[in-house]
Amino acid sequence: MRFIFITVRKELKRRFNDPGALISSIMIPFAIGFLIASVMGGSGGSIKAGLLVTDLDDSFISQGILSALGQDQMADMITLEKVSLDEGERRINEGDGSAHLVIPEDFGQAWLDREEIALLLTVNPSQYVSPRLIREMLESLLDLGDYLHKVFGDELKIISQSVDSDGLVGISTADFSANITDKVSGIADLVLPPVMEVDDVTPEPEGSSVSMGLLMFPGILIMAAFFAANGQSSNFWTEKEKGTLGRWVASPNAFSAFWVAQWFTAMALTALVAAPIMLMGFFYFDITFEKYLSALAWLALTGPVLFALLSLIQVLAPSRKSGSMISTLVMFPLLMVGGSFFPTETMPGFIAGIAQYTPNGRVVEPLKAYLTGEYGSSGMFAELWGLLLVTLVLVLLTGSLSARKALA
Amino acid sequence: MIEVRDLQKCYGDLVAVDHISFTADGGSVFGLLGPNGAGKSTTISCLSGLLQPTAGSIRVGGFDISTEAVKAKASLGIVPQELAIYEDLSGHDNLAFWGAAYGLKGDRLQQRVGHVLNRIGLADRASDLPKTYSGGMKRRLNFGCGLVHEPAILLLDEPTVGVDPQSREHLFELVREEKAKGTCVLYTTHYMEEAEKLCDELAIIDHGKIIAAGTLDALRAEFGGNDIIQLSGSFDQPKVEQAVNELHGEVLALAADTLMIAIRDGARSLPSVLQGISATGAEIHHARLSEPNLESLFLKLTGKDLRA
Repeated sequence: MRFIFITVRKELKRRFNDPGALISSIMIPFAIGFLIASVMGGSGGSIKAGLLVTDLDDSFISQGILSALGQDQMADMITLEKVSLDEGERRINEGDGSAHLVIPEDFGQAWLDREEIALLLTVNPSQYVSPRLIREMLESLLDLGDYLHKVFGDELKIISQSVDSDGLVGISTADFSANITDKVSGIADLVLPPVMEVDDVTPEPEGSSVSMGLLMFPGILIMAAFFAANGQSSNFWTEKEKGTLGRWVASPNAFSAFWVAQWFTAMALTALVAAPIMLMGFFYFDITFEKYLSALAWLALTGPVLFALLSLIQVLAPSRKSGSMISTLVMFPLLMVGGSFFPTETMPGFIAGIAQYTPNGRVVEPLKAYLTGEYGSSGMFAELWGLLLVTLVLVLLTGSLSARKALA
Repeated sequence: MIEVRDLQKCYGDLVAVDHISFTADGGSVFGLLGPNGAGKSTTISCLSGLLQPTAGSIRVGGFDISTEAVKAKASLGIVPQELAIYEDLSGHDNLAFWGAAYGLKGDRLQQRVGHVLNRIGLADRASDLPKTYSGGMKRRLNFGCGLVHEPAILLLDEPTVGVDPQSREHLFELVREEKAKGTCVLYTTHYMEEAEKLCDELAIIDHGKIIAAGTLDALRAEFGGNDIIQLSGSFDQPKVEQAVNELHGEVLALAADTLMIAIRDGARSLPSVLQGISATGAEIHHARLSEPNLESLFLKLTGKDLRA
């Protein structure tokens, strides 16, 4: 045990003697996370599209569209801002906003009369998700308008005429209302869902909705662990090529101690690299610092499952070069699918399902649940033993496979 | 201290070490001399427990390396051919780590590290990283890592490859010191000058087999008191062979431009040798008379140059 401790200390000294590599392990995941968060529409908040609207029509129809865009779930996704035509054009040209919608004059009347008229939507090409979101919502609203015409065509015609004559012509208001009620009742079974009572038993997370940045944060941490693990796993080749592994085998110490020491070193490096990133994240996302040590302990204990996996790949590879290549080929898809580059919440369902079966996914998801308040620390650590067992099996397998290779 | 019996190591059909036996005692330097690929490093690897022998037995410090590996390894210090040091760990930390690997700790460890740093001439560079060292300094550190724990047996595998003359002399001095302390030193080399300078006993190894063994004087006696005459020029081979036979000499090496012969009382025989060889129509450009050495012995035994 003493020798394992001495070896871990030696390994850490080696890393500290190469501060550039150590700082890179911290900065690279941080930079990647920042870039991805920026591309997805902001570094810290939820994804929210900014829609600039110039309403030249100012009719009850155009106002209805704007009301629809500004209500309920749509309001969670779109920030609406009414602007003049000039200001809208200027701001969208400056990249300020996701899109600029111009509702032309007489739009409302044209819609009521079923005449052709165009809505002008100018999108910001530097954004990808938000403009598509706005376009799809507008298309949904226009489809809804088309269905309204099909079902309430007669009534809309009356309304259209009344806009000109300041009142409903040739029909009493009561009859008009009764007609609409009849039609709604007639199609109710088709378009309205059955009435259900739902008791929502999921406790609300602390505070309001979880921001995109916070969802990405555990992924950034595990990315740091991944980079640290990757460097540590290739140490087998470094020691073999330099001959220090031969010295080790010729010493009276057990060869398995080498791998146990590498494992513990991976734990220490993970903690070392993750600690400053975690500290910044806790400040930025205003996470209670009571969770800091538990989260760091979780990451340090479980993060080395990645080291164990990459070490096994290195040992199975015929050379350092192919080991690095295969590790990279495995690492990046795992980072993508396992929820490190993108949170599983933003993934299609089937990919998010796969994430549960990736080692980094198994580390990220409980940590995320803990940081967002979904789990307590006991909930997170309930999954610890499984991960430790997998790591131990991988380390033992790596050790037994590498013993012969070390001497070849 | 080292007892090797009938050691064989095969890699598939390739026999790297072919049933060799030798013993080496404390307070002496035993040399394994042979060209590259002769089986020296494989023998060292078997001795240090890095390779499992195919057949035979090895006892190190009284313990069988296969069945009592931990005890046997504890008595060994290894200086491998490659620079087995951590380039990203200071000279001091390299020595401290390998000292700790053999159980040294506390004051004893620091004392040994300090002593070795002085002995290898790196005390003033102890806190620097080896990547800033010269090649000779790295070699010395590599050497120091093998002896920091004061092993009873020191295995040196071509420790002077690529070393400048000054550092080489420094390393020789360290080997002599270890010998004087009673350490059993096994020294492999393909430099016959090193073997002649350092070794008390030698085994000449080629193609995995020991082809001659003994003290330097005993090996020289293989020549039966003959001296060596080396000639360069141009030679008609069949005629030269016949002329040497008539002079009662022995051809050790003969090519179109070189000739090496062993002959009794070389100084007196030289004029008649030159006359006899010239009579065959040969042109002689240069002649050298020397005592028999390991290189000429190797040539005599194998018919090839030791440095080939």
